[in-house]
Amino acid sequence: MKTRIALYGALREADASGHVELDVPAGSSIAELRELLAAHLAEHAPAIPAGLVRCSAFASAEEILHNHRSVPEGVELAVLPPVSGG
Amino acid sequence: MDDLHVAVVERRMAALDVAEALAFVSDPRFGGIATFIGRVRDHNVGRVVTGISYDLFEPLALRTFRAIGERARAEVGAPLKLWIAHAKGDLAIGDLAVVVAAGTPHRDEAFRACRLAIEAVKHEAPIWKREHYVDGDSAWSEGCSLCEEQRDAERHDHAGHAHGH
Repeated sequence: MKTRIALYGALREADASGHVELDVPAGSSIAELRELLAAHLAEHAPAIPAGLVRCSAFASAEEILHNHRSVPEGVELAVLPPVSGG
Repeated sequence: MDDLHVAVVERRMAALDVAEALAFVSDPRFGGIATFIGRVRDHNVGRVVTGISYDLFEPLALRTFRAIGERARAEVGAPLKLWIAHAKGDLAIGDLAVVVAAGTPHRDEAFRACRLAIEAVKHEAPIWKREHYVDGDSAWSEGCSLCEEQRDAERHDHAGHAHGH
């Protein structure tokens, strides 16, 4: 399934459109999505530091989705690098 | 809930308003109001800063602010009115970046609620700061990971992650 992931903070530099779309096998976990995104960025946005996806969180508009969670179907996700508000 | 106001304010549309925050948390029951005002400063780590830009994942930021408000209410164990507002977009030196105001019956509860809320906003809300420097360069600030596994790893590495930001 296609999963659209919105980019924030330093990860916005990865794609001027502000998002990436990945082909994710049904039933994948967030940990697996993390690997797919890291591989995608290594190929398409080599300027992004390799470790940035590892310390980023995935989220829907409602909540943070930790590694053991399944990738929800038909929901746009966001990838959130370390935060620096305030 | 009427006792909690959360907002993300686009700088082009308006500045954060402290008077509005104080009016919101005022109440005849309350003898204490604590506020935290975060402003854009002109330097960071030895570099001259000319402005900053805030990026937010707005729906989750607002949910996070509300969750923080509920946690503050449970933590202080007293009647509480709480205001949490954060700016978005391009800010100049001196602009208000964040305003937290807490109104409670007594000062201790107000200070505790205000401190809890601002620390949680800084460490948990999906907000990113990009600093612009006098030489034309700019950089995203180093931040605090929201990833559970990464946080656990940091705890083991540094035994208590100093949280200087």
